[in-house]
Amino acid sequence: MSVFEGLRFRRVYSPIHNLDPRIKFVYVCAIFVAAIIFWELLPLITLFLIQIPFVLLAGVKREWLRSMRGAVFLAAIIFLTNFIFSFIGAGYIVTAKSVENAVAMTLRFIVLVESFSIFFLTTSPDHLGLALEQTHIPYEFCFAFTTAVRFVPVLAEEAQTIMDAQKARGLELEGGNFLKRIRNYIPILIPLIVGSIRRSLELAEAMESRAWGATKNRTNLYVLKMHRGDFILIAITVGILATAIYTRLFFAIPSLNELLGSLF
Amino acid sequence: MAIIETKNLTYTYPGGAKPSVRDVSVKIEKGEFVLVTGPSGCGKTTLCRCFNGLIPHFYQGELKGEVTAAGLKVAEQPICELAKHVGLVFQNPENQLFALSVEKDVAFGLENLGVPREEMRKRVDWALKLTGIYDLRERAPHELSGGQQQRAAIASVLAMQPEVIVLDEPTSFLDPLGAKKIFEVIYELNRKLGITTVLVEHRLDLTAKYVDHIIIMEDGKVVLDGEPREILSSKEARLIGVGIPKATRLYQILQKDRVKLGNAVPLSSDEMSALLRGVLKA
Ligand SMILES: Nc1ncnc2c1ncn2[C@@H]1O[C@H](COP(=O)(O)OP(=O)(O)OP(=O)(O)O)[C@@H](O)[C@H]1O
Ligand SMILES: [Mg+2]
Repeated sequence: MSVFEGLRFRRVYSPIHNLDPRIKFVYVCAIFVAAIIFWELLPLITLFLIQIPFVLLAGVKREWLRSMRGAVFLAAIIFLTNFIFSFIGAGYIVTAKSVENAVAMTLRFIVLVESFSIFFLTTSPDHLGLALEQTHIPYEFCFAFTTAVRFVPVLAEEAQTIMDAQKARGLELEGGNFLKRIRNYIPILIPLIVGSIRRSLELAEAMESRAWGATKNRTNLYVLKMHRGDFILIAITVGILATAIYTRLFFAIPSLNELLGSLF
Repeated sequence: MAIIETKNLTYTYPGGAKPSVRDVSVKIEKGEFVLVTGPSGCGKTTLCRCFNGLIPHFYQGELKGEVTAAGLKVAEQPICELAKHVGLVFQNPENQLFALSVEKDVAFGLENLGVPREEMRKRVDWALKLTGIYDLRERAPHELSGGQQQRAAIASVLAMQPEVIVLDEPTSFLDPLGAKKIFEVIYELNRKLGITTVLVEHRLDLTAKYVDHIIIMEDGKVVLDGEPREILSSKEARLIGVGIPKATRLYQILQKDRVKLGNAVPLSSDEMSALLRGVLKA
């Protein structure tokens, strides 16, 4: 099951987990905008650092580090392309500025990944489904979303069972070239698909039997209410965005080089 | 008046070579505990689907005859209307739970009906407590055992407060002890709340003692329909291959050997031991 462990959301309670997903989403968007409007290193470092307290408060350090490690490869590519282009652009010399630029672009990407991973690591799928519902997204989509999340572990388990069964009957999964490997998985996929179709029929039957679509004015067991934490997050979000825009418009941001030079 | 009644019901699935249910006329009275049994493939599930409108609304195919449930003509009402009156619990509990927590699942039907939140909260808690899973209400379905999942499925139908609850082999995914507990829950609901209960089941050893009325099907037809003691001690029931309770069978064998234990046919081991005790005392 180890492959699928990451798909399973663990129910945790923390001040960050309890925040309204809608507000968290607005926060992510704000960070997104702030990261896009800067290409200097200093503000991007700031953006990276101010998000660390969220990770610590939510108690998801381990998972967060794992997702950041997942971004390393892409980050390296971004760094190299930026670096090579400015290297060529500057006439085949390495300048401190071009290195700093490449680092800044990479950091921008990392900030984006950071805020997204905080969002997804601290938002339970049912909370997210609820938020979708209460932002007046058609209920069918919200239902499809939560049901998909609900059945991911079930399908994963089923896939594992089929894999074990087929292996026990002598199916070789490894070995061979790329195409051969894909072909190896067909005996796994067919039963999985057939099983899923049957399952979806049974689901549809059960939904119908529980008055699916009886009224357009569906009610909901839960309501999302804004708490103190949500207002604080709104304040933080507005603060970050305002500061970012103000800084962009009215300040000449020194590069790290210049700053270090003026300090010493 | 019967709460569910079928008149000359015949139904063929689309593309089916022969009818899965043939000329079925049964009456289920209000408050009854009815057991439907018969060999595999004899059309029990198909009959259940006719009770709440899945046939003919969800499954097309050819329907003849008439079904009324809670005073409504099933063919003329949408499933969501019938769902308020006839609740259906399926065989596989896993595929009837779609939400990410138990209580959200129990609320699903009520949400669909647009029940106001306070009322919904009350009914959800009520159903959770009756089925004994109140403490599990925040768990995800895949964190529950099969028995707990089946209870959640029953609770989610119960919360809609139907007059009739139809359970199609609700324990076939459970071990005998889990099954026994589910049957006890179902029996209590029937006795305490007076909910008309239709149970499709093979394990008569565990269930026969609870029921007021037995319907035995074979090859799409109803072959026996009536009082449990009478039916289970009949020769026909034995020949069809219905799982006659062991106590009933023992009573019959003893009777054949001219050992008469009493006038009432026992349906469970408890009843049998009471009989034996009586005889031993005399
Ligand atoms: N969805 C379907 N489409 C076509 N034919 C079906 C469908 N469901 C059942 N049948 C057929 O209808 C007949 C009766 O099936 P049904 O499922 O009602 O039997 P059952 O008594 O519930 O059996 P079991 O005890 O195995 O659950 C069978 O011959 C079956 O092949
Ligand atoms: Mg069946």
